[in-house]
Amino acid sequence: MSKFADIQIDPAIVKKAARGDSKAHEIIYRAFATPVYSICLRFTKVPAHAEDLVQETFIEIMRSIPKFRGEAALGSWIRRIAVTKSLMFLRSAWTKRGQTLEDDWQDVTEGQAASHGISSHPDDALDLDAALANLTDVSRAVVWLHDVEGFTHKEIAGLMGKTESFSKSQLSRAYRRLRPLLAVDENAQPDGAVVRSY
Amino acid sequence: MSGDRKEKEMICALTADEHNALQKGLRELPDTMPPRAVWHRIREQAEAEGLVNKPRMQRRSTWYTGAGLAAAAVIAAIVIPGVINPPGEEFPTVPPNVSETPVAELTALQTLMVESRQLESDLRALPDEPRVMRAGTVATISDLEDRIAAIDYQLNDPEVRMTPEDKELFWRERVRLMKLLLQLRYAQAQRAAF
Repeated sequence: MSKFADIQIDPAIVKKAARGDSKAHEIIYRAFATPVYSICLRFTKVPAHAEDLVQETFIEIMRSIPKFRGEAALGSWIRRIAVTKSLMFLRSAWTKRGQTLEDDWQDVTEGQAASHGISSHPDDALDLDAALANLTDVSRAVVWLHDVEGFTHKEIAGLMGKTESFSKSQLSRAYRRLRPLLAVDENAQPDGAVVRSY
Repeated sequence: MSGDRKEKEMICALTADEHNALQKGLRELPDTMPPRAVWHRIREQAEAEGLVNKPRMQRRSTWYTGAGLAAAAVIAAIVIPGVINPPGEEFPTVPPNVSETPVAELTALQTLMVESRQLESDLRALPDEPRVMRAGTVATISDLEDRIAAIDYQLNDPEVRMTPEDKELFWRERVRLMKLLLQLRYAQAQRAAF
């Protein structure tokens, strides 16, 4: 489950925030700043961009919270805003580079990936972190949305303005890039069961 | 190969074990806290756009309101004995609505409250903060203080209706943060001593 789901805010605080109470907004910020920043940083890789996105996300929360009816969990609602802002940023970045979403994958070839320091037998978070950072923006976003935040391909496609097939193929390509990280125990069982390093 | 199977293989490109390992690894990646300045920027923008009410402390005050408050404080000190703490007495660290907690609930909470009070006392016993501090330490201390303040705000807010379990959770978190703060301030004091 996403870390957003673990954070609970008292409905009374949300109501106060909806009335513009700055302290209530600060409480919401303190509760969600880290997961929001983490997801923005994960998508953009650049702390300055991530900080800007955090600012945009929380300003949007302040603007929209009077309309928040509590039908979804507050965390899911905030996460959706953060993801949308991050993807909008990525889109604008792609546009500036004159690239399309499809082109983005072609930025890094398999050969380049190997030279970017992805270990063949890494066994800690740093390796995975680095490998994730070496994925293209689109692939990284798709992997994160699908495998960490639990979005479906349909939802990802909707967020990216693309088709489900696009989301699936991005994920598949990313998996192939990340696969070497999932070190297989040399003493794999004959029935095919294997022990992984994570 | 059926379309369905082909699609599954295309999507997965990993065995179920590999996929589970990847998901677990991704979810265990550490989170990152944003720099403290980000909240200040947000608050400034929000105030400029009129999205939040400005905190009372920042409202412009006139000289007579200040004088009125000072007079009220003097009257309160004279008329209501015990309103102002006598010298040497500790500043109350327990949020006001705690005293309204039913006796039955206090058993679980009391330990945490006492611990919290003890930590406050230990914190005050440390020497003043050194003039020169590492920027990272300042940010961490400020953040911890803010988080403690946010908890106190929730514990004090009459509009927030908490279950005993929630209250205990808040106090537990307060104690945890106080311990971190104390450790940090202690380390800081030790560095300053050398």
